[in-house]
Amino acid sequence: MATRDLVLSALFAAIIVALGLVPPIMLGFIPVPITAQSLGVMLAGVVLGAKRGTISVLLVLVLAAIGLPVLSGGRGGLAVFMAPTTGYLIGWVFAVLTTGYLSQLLVSHSQAGFVQTVNFFVAALFGGVIVLYVCGISYLALVTGLGFSKAFMGSLAFIPGDILKAVIAALAGRAVMVGYPLLPQRT
Amino acid sequence: MRSLHIDGNSVLHRLPAAAKLAALAVISLVLFMIDNAGFLAGAALAGLAGHVLLRISATEIWRRMRPFVLIVVVVALFTAVFNGTGEGLTAFFRLAALALFASLVTATTTTGDFIGVITRAAMPLERLGLLKARDVGLSIGLVIRFVPEILSRYEVIRDAHYARGLKPRPVSLIVPLIITTLKSADEIAAAIDARGIRSQK
Amino acid sequence: MDIHFEKVEVRFEGRTVIHPLDLTIGGRRVGIIGLNGSGKTTLARMINGLVKPSSGRVTVNGFDTVERQDEARGQSGFIFQNPQNQIILPLLREDIALGLKSRKLTKQEVTAAVDAILDRFGIKHLGDRRAHELSGGELQLAALASVLVTEPKILVMDEPTNQLDLKNRNLVEKTIRTLPEDVIVISHDLDLVAGLDRVLLVHEGRIAADGGPGEVIGLYRAMQGAKA
Ligand SMILES: Nc1ncnc2c1ncn2[C@@H]1O[C@H](COP(=O)(O)OP(=O)(O)O)[C@@H](O)[C@H]1O
Ligand SMILES: [Mg+2]
Repeated sequence: MATRDLVLSALFAAIIVALGLVPPIMLGFIPVPITAQSLGVMLAGVVLGAKRGTISVLLVLVLAAIGLPVLSGGRGGLAVFMAPTTGYLIGWVFAVLTTGYLSQLLVSHSQAGFVQTVNFFVAALFGGVIVLYVCGISYLALVTGLGFSKAFMGSLAFIPGDILKAVIAALAGRAVMVGYPLLPQRT
Repeated sequence: MRSLHIDGNSVLHRLPAAAKLAALAVISLVLFMIDNAGFLAGAALAGLAGHVLLRISATEIWRRMRPFVLIVVVVALFTAVFNGTGEGLTAFFRLAALALFASLVTATTTTGDFIGVITRAAMPLERLGLLKARDVGLSIGLVIRFVPEILSRYEVIRDAHYARGLKPRPVSLIVPLIITTLKSADEIAAAIDARGIRSQK
Repeated sequence: MDIHFEKVEVRFEGRTVIHPLDLTIGGRRVGIIGLNGSGKTTLARMINGLVKPSSGRVTVNGFDTVERQDEARGQSGFIFQNPQNQIILPLLREDIALGLKSRKLTKQEVTAAVDAILDRFGIKHLGDRRAHELSGGELQLAALASVLVTEPKILVMDEPTNQLDLKNRNLVEKTIRTLPEDVIVISHDLDLVAGLDRVLLVHEGRIAADGGPGEVIGLYRAMQGAKA
C-alpha cells in the first residue's frame, strides 16, 4: 500500500474517533441532534472508497479492541465486542465496504452534481443503513436468542436517523469530491 | 485519550496478552454454550470478583460497565417479556459475564502489548503480501497522534461559523474538517517516506 | 555534500514546473530563495526522492534518487514547511525512536540515542509531551531531532522560520549556524539566507542566479523592485 493511502486511512480513522467525541450536531430543518460517529463510517466509504475506507474503520475497531475509549460515549475495550450490539460494530466493516464499493461504481466526475449526490446517497443508504442493520439485527437475534422479528422491532426506532445521516453523507461526500477529489483512487 | 488499561503487577498483568485473548475466546464460547442461569450468575460474579482482586474501585468498575448496563438490561427485559423470566435472567448474566471478563483483559493489558500481538498475528498476512505487519503499529500511532489535532480543527471551524454569525450545521462543519485533514495527508506521507520509516525490512 | 541534477525536468499534470536544468550543489550551507510557486519546494523534494524528475536524474553523494532510493534518502533529512505534520507518533520520544527501528538496536541503545538527540537540541523536557501540545518553535526543534537522529549527512529545510516569532526564529537561525551537518535552506527570510555560503535564486522553474548571498539577494531585491 502506498504511504499516502495508509496515512489517508489513518487520518480518516482519527476523524471517525473525533466525531464520536464532539457534542451532537443539530440539524437545520428539524430539531434532531445527530451523533456523528456512524455518519463517519458512511463518510469513510463515500470519501475514500472501499479499500481505504474499510482500512480506516478496521483501525477504529482495533483501537477500541486494544482498550482505547474511541467509540462514542467513551466506549472501548474488548467488552464492546461482547455486547448485544456488537453486530452493529462488526457491521461497520461491511457497511463501509459496501458504501465505498458502490460509490466507486456509481459516481463519476463526468456526472452532474445532483446525480453524484443521489448516487452517493444510494451508496450510503445501501451500505450504511441496509447492510449495517442486517448485520446488527442478525447478531442481536442470534446471540441473544431474541429472534429476528423482535430484534428488528427493537432496532426500528434508529432507522430514520440513519437515513438522515445517509443524506448528510451524500451531500458531504459530493462536496469533498469537488473540493479535494480522492476518488477514483490514484494508484 | 486515556486507555482503559490499569497499571499493576498481578498475575493477569504478567500473563502474555496472546494467552489472555485466547482464554477470553474460550470463556466466551463456554458462556454461550451453557444455558444454566445459576452457572452464568456464578461466572458474572467471578468476573466481578476479578475486578475486586485487582483493587479496581467500585466507581471505576461502574465507569467501565456503564456503557453496557442499559443495553444489557433492555435485551434481558425484552427476552424476559417474550421468552419468560428464566431466559431473561440467563441473557442478563451471560451478557454481564461477557462484559466483565472482557474488561478484565482490557484492564490488565497495555496498548503496546496489544500492538505486539496484532503485529505478530499480521505476519502470516505479510507473507501473503496483503500488508506490512509493521504498518499496524504505525497506523495506530498515527490515529492517536491526530485525534486531538482534528478535535482542535473542529473547534476552529465551529468558531469560524460563530464569528460570521452562522449556525454550525453537519455538512458545513464536516466538509472543511475532512478536506483540511486529508490535505495534510500528503505531507505526513512525505515525512514518513523521507525518514525511510516504511522502506526497511 | 555532493548533489547533481542532470538535465532534470519536472512536469505536474502536463505543466512544466522545473525547466530542464543542470546543477551541482556542493559546499556546506546553501540557501534557496524565490517567489511563491517558483519551484523551490519541488527542487528540494527531489533531493529526497519525494518528487521524481519527469526526465533526467538526480544523484546525492553518488546515489541515484530513483534507482537507489533508500540509500539516497539515507543521505539527507527533510524538514517540511509545516512541522506539525512531521511528528508522526503521539509522544516525541516514540516519534524519534521510530526513525531508528531499522537499526536493530537494543531498547537501551534506542533510549540513549533519543536522549542524546533531545539533549543536543535542549528539549529533553519535551520528550514525553504530546506532539499536538508543542508550540511552533518547540515543534521545529522536535522535527529537527526526529530527522537528525538517523544521522543524515545533509539537512534540507523548507521555510523553517516562516511561522515563528522572533525569539524562535533566532533560535532556529542559531541552530542552523551551529549544525555540523551540511544544510540546504529554502527561505523567504533574507536575513537568515544572508548568513549562508551560497544562494540559489529560483524563478519560474529556472535557476535565475547562483552565487554569494550578498550578490544573489541584491539581484532578487532588484528584480522585485524593478517590477513594482
Ligand atoms: N503535487 C503537485 N501537483 C501539481 N502541481 C504541483 C504539485 N506540487 C507543486 N505543484 C506546482 O508546482 C509549482 C511549484 O511549486 P513549489 O515547488 O511548491 O513552489 P515554491 O516552493 O517555490 O513555492 C506551483 O505552481 C505548484 O502549484
Ligand atoms: Mg514551497
